[in-house]
Order: sequence, then C-alpha cells, then structure tokens
Amino acid sequence: MNAIYRLQAEVLNKEELIPGVFRIKLFSEEISRAAKPGQFVHVACGKGRDFILRRPFSIHRRLSGNAFEILFQVVGRGTEALSEVRLHDFVDVLGPLGNSFEIPPDLSSALLVAGGVGIAPLIFLADELNSRKVRFYAIQGATTQQRLFCYMDLKRLGRQIFATTEDGTAGHCGRATDLIHEVIKKSAPERIYSCGPEGMLKVVADVAAAFGIDCQVSVERRMACGLGACLSCVCQTRDGYRLACKDGPVFRAEELSWKA
Amino acid sequence: MKPDLSVEIAGIQLKNPVMTASGTFGCGREYADLVDLKKLGAIVAKTVTLEPRKGNPPPRICETPSGMLNAIGLQNEGIDRFIEKEMPFLKKVGVPVIVNIAGDAVSDYVELCRRLSSVGDVAAIELNVSCPNVKAGGIAFGMHPGLVSEVVGACRRATGLPLIVKLTPNVGSVVGIARAAVGAGADAVSLINTVIGMSIDHNTFQPRLASGFGGLSGPAIRPIAVRMVWEVARELDVPIIGMGGVGDALDAVEFILAGATAVAVGTANFINPRATIDLIDGLEEFLIARGMDSVRDLVGKVKMDGSSPTC
Repeated sequence: MNAIYRLQAEVLNKEELIPGVFRIKLFSEEISRAAKPGQFVHVACGKGRDFILRRPFSIHRRLSGNAFEILFQVVGRGTEALSEVRLHDFVDVLGPLGNSFEIPPDLSSALLVAGGVGIAPLIFLADELNSRKVRFYAIQGATTQQRLFCYMDLKRLGRQIFATTEDGTAGHCGRATDLIHEVIKKSAPERIYSCGPEGMLKVVADVAAAFGIDCQVSVERRMACGLGACLSCVCQTRDGYRLACKDGPVFRAEELSWKA
Repeated sequence: MKPDLSVEIAGIQLKNPVMTASGTFGCGREYADLVDLKKLGAIVAKTVTLEPRKGNPPPRICETPSGMLNAIGLQNEGIDRFIEKEMPFLKKVGVPVIVNIAGDAVSDYVELCRRLSSVGDVAAIELNVSCPNVKAGGIAFGMHPGLVSEVVGACRRATGLPLIVKLTPNVGSVVGIARAAVGAGADAVSLINTVIGMSIDHNTFQPRLASGFGGLSGPAIRPIAVRMVWEVARELDVPIIGMGGVGDALDAVEFILAGATAVAVGTANFINPRATIDLIDGLEEFLIARGMDSVRDLVGKVKMDGSSPTC
C-alpha cells in the first residue's frame, strides 16, 4: 500500500488566475514524492470555524520534487477560506489519496479531454505523459477564453491542443465534446483521459465506447474521511457502489453507471 | 508518575478510555497508515448485519454548522465477510474489539450474537438500536422501551459476551430507554447515536441528502450528548460510553465529568485522522496538570451545587 501523510504544508505561492479561481503551491517532500497523476489531497479549510470537514482537491502539478499545486474554484465557504491563506501559512493536508490514472508502459498516444477546472489533474497527467514520451492531443473546453486555465502548459507538453469556448472568445465556439469525434479520427489515441463536469464525462465515455478506446475519467464527490472509512462518497458502478476516495477518483468509464 | 488511564467497562479492561465510534473508523484498517491502532482503548467496528447491505443512494452526507448529516444506510458486506476478512486484521491489532451489529428483526440480532460468540477475540457486542437511516430495525427498536427490552433480552440469552446498547437521542426519555436496556441485561450503554436532522438546498429546493433526512453528528450535538450522559448516569448504575462530538481531550473530560467511563471519537476521525491518539495524549496531560492519578477519579464528578462562576 502507498503511504499516506498528514502534515502541515507551507504555502509557497498563491495565484488568483481569474477572480475566484486559485492556484496554491504547497511544500511537502513526502506528498510530492509519493503523488501519482489522478490522486488527490484532503485539505482542512476551516480551522476554528463552523465548517469542519476537509475538502478534496486533485493534485494539479508536481514541482521540483518537494512541492505540489492545487487548482480550485471558490464554490463555497471551504474553498473561500482556503483562498484566503497567505504566503508561508501552514495548511493541514492529508494525502496523497485515491488511485491514479493508469498509464500502460507501452502507451504511445492519448487524448485528454478537460472541462472547466477539470483541467486540474490533467496537467499532472500531461507532465507525466510528456516525460514518458507519450504523444498526446488534448481538447480543453471552458465557458470563455479566460477560463482556459493552463492552456499554454498543455501547448508546451502536448502534440496539438484544441480549445473550445461556449461564448466563442477562443477556439471552437461550443463544447469540448463537439470536437471529440474529429480529434479521435485525427489522432487515433490508444487511450482517453478526462475530467470535468459529469455531463461532459458521460459524452466522452459514450464516444470512447463507440470508438472502442479505453477511457478513464476522474470524478468528484462529497467526501468526509477520504480514507475509505465513512462510505460517503459512493459512485454507482456496474458492480454496485464504489468509493470515489479509495476505488477512485479515477474510474474506467465503462464501469460507471451514469445518470440518464 | 504517569497518570493511570485504564478503565473497566462491561467487564473489559481498557488501557485508556478512548474508543472509536462505530461507522467512523471502518474496521481500523483504513486508518492503519495514520494511527498507531495499538494505542487505542478499543476499536468499535462499523455496523455489521447478517446479509450484505448496499446502503443508501448518494449524496449520503452534507456539512452543517459544526457538524455533518449522514445517511449511509449501514452499507456493509455482511457477517460472513466481516468474520473472514476483517476479524483476522482486528485480532492482530491486539486491542479489545467491539463489534457493532444491527438487524431488521430480533432474530437477526440473536443470530449475529451467536455467530460472534464463536469467533473468539470479540471483546463485546454493541447493539445498534439507534441508526436513523434504515427503514426497518435500527432506530425502530431504540425508540421503544418494550422493543429495546425484547431485543436486548434475546441477545442476552444468545451470548455470554458483554453487551453494550447504543442509544438514540431521538426519544422523549433516554433514561427510560437506558433503563429498559439495563433491565434486559445490558452490561453498558453507549450514547448518543446521531440526532435526526435535515438540510435543504435553497437553489434546487431539494434535500441535500438523497434520503431526505439523516443523522447529525459532530461538535453541534455535543451539548445534547453530554446532557443525556449526565441524565443516564444520575438515574442508573450502568457504565456509560459517551459520544457525540468528542474531538479532543477537553471534550472527553466533559463527558467523563458527566458520568461516562469511556468515550468514543466519531466524526472527529474524519477531520483529524489522529484525533483518537491526540485525545489520549491530551487526557494524560490534563490529569498531570491537575495532579490527578487516575482518569477514574473524574467519572461523574460534575459539581451540581448551583454555583456558576461564568454566567
């Protein structure tokens, strides 16, 4: 079993990418060293306040062996509190948790499909694919150009990146899934990796199945312990309920039973 | 000299009064990376039923002020898998193992008691007659003294193992329920299970839990729990395991002063996975700071003399 650490990680950097979306860099040799793409950390956000549970965040990037980043949007009081940390504050972090994206040793090509802040874990994965010399394409979808987070990172790491925005301010006007057939035909990926809104994941899963391509998706669930004890974060799969925190957050797309 | 943290409850010797609350610690294995399980007073495993249960649909939890609501629905793999898969691990830990059980009918509880009696290395059985999240059994028993008496009595006849009855706060008189449990042969009572609650999303107009309502736990319910422990301790001569928002040593002291012999840590395990260990260390420090020799000297020592220095 992989080690799990609970530690106080120093905030080394904080960026507000656009109003309400933050990237925080945390110092931890242990977590940084142990982390695999797709895993998450469980962060205490409300110390001394009346919201008590940790919040799960995908590991966004690993940096120079002793730090890692999380990327998140402020959606409630927990993320709001976390967005208020200051440089050199210490944050109570548990991790790395969960499984990871499976990268077969002989994988030579892949397609990444990201929606909104679902880009977060895919940058860590893109880094890993790049260092393993896996040629990959990516489709990144967002509502508007400003929200195509890390687009330049993808450009640097991948073969060809297709952007979509719902308001047409950059790339194709529409959704990431509009381009998926075309990009699959063009790039013939052996595998598809995706993270984003559940509606998008379902379409990606259906298309991958139609093309007969292995597909892994990262899901998000309300979670308490993060360790497989509380049984809060269940996902409906073909084999019954499975835990996002322990059996996931990465699932093979065909395992999941999507809501109609 | 180090203070003595050991206590005895339901005939079980505990090296300290700190247990895990059922359902918040899995079967220990989930926390083994982060917690030195050997240091715990006892491990109380997640509720096990005769047959596997898939539990309730998600979302199963939501956060509420200083607490959380859950409606897990007793998801578990059933007694056969528990004995085969979890007991060997629990045995190896080397601390008393308390197995929490629930059923739809009295006969389920009886059968579970029989099965567990022959396993060996089970220190005690905790009867869950207080789960608010299942349709049959659970709280349906725990709200009626007559049914509590029936299920506890039947289990008493089925096993020689110590019986702990876990009580629900969702009743008019917790003392009445506790009295029924003790009268039917309970060796100890644990209280409280979760308080039934509900939360509604103002955007969707839907309940935040798929089940509609669930059980409230965490610091939000601590005063309710302390009051109920105090009431039961005042009325009955039965060892009490106090729980409900126990997060640190000072919380534990509150429960012990109210009359609990031991405490169980529940929701706090989700927030600080090492909460149990930190609590044990903190309790020792508390006793040292006050020059006390034994945690047992705190049990039920709340001063009810009417003077109130702070309000």
